[in-house]
Amino acid sequence: MKNRLKLLRAERNWTQAQLADALDVSRQTVNAIETGKFDPSLPLAFRVARLFALPIEEIFHDEDRRGSATNMKTGSCIDSR
Amino acid sequence: MNELKPAANGYQSRTRTNVKRLFYWNGVWGAATALMALGPKFLWNKAMGFTLLSIALDIAVGIGMILANKKYIAELDELQRKVQLNSMGVTLGVALIAGVPLSVMDAYHVIPFHADIAYLLIVMSITFALSNLYGTQRYR
Repeated sequence: MKNRLKLLRAERNWTQAQLADALDVSRQTVNAIETGKFDPSLPLAFRVARLFALPIEEIFHDEDRRGSATNMKTGSCIDSR
Repeated sequence: MNELKPAANGYQSRTRTNVKRLFYWNGVWGAATALMALGPKFLWNKAMGFTLLSIALDIAVGIGMILANKKYIAELDELQRKVQLNSMGVTLGVALIAGVPLSVMDAYHVIPFHADIAYLLIVMSITFALSNLYGTQRYR
């Protein structure tokens, strides 16, 4: 999953430590999300979206969107029961 | 610069408090375990009542330590919890892989010393510390 967290934070002149405080997580977690080493849970992603007052999909997006679309088309990710 | 409101009772201070609590309970448990192990020989000349009391104290303090550890992990953020979980998984695996053969080797006198539980505790501590360090570095 890719994200625009670093860009959005820089636009607001926030430090990683400030963002971490506001999200109630460690600075290491903010850094790991920004560098794409760690994908946040849905509740944390929503907290980020609320903080930046943006829809969640404007911050986080699926890296494998094309692959997912192909899978959907061929029905490979649909339960065949 | 836009002002950011830090969450009430911030993550850093909460974690610091929990770490202090964990260290305290670990220290007390270490002292209670030492009392239980050495007391019968050096302090009360193997008097059964005191020995049972020291065992009960060690278990009670051990429960306190477990609860402190549980609180510490519950209040970590999701990445730190993931690092802890990975470390615990590796430690459990290593304890099984090292513990069972060590016990077998002791039973069949493959090793020239008694396979004391303390050896396993040392291996587990080192494994946990190393895998925790690896996890912390990995997401840095």
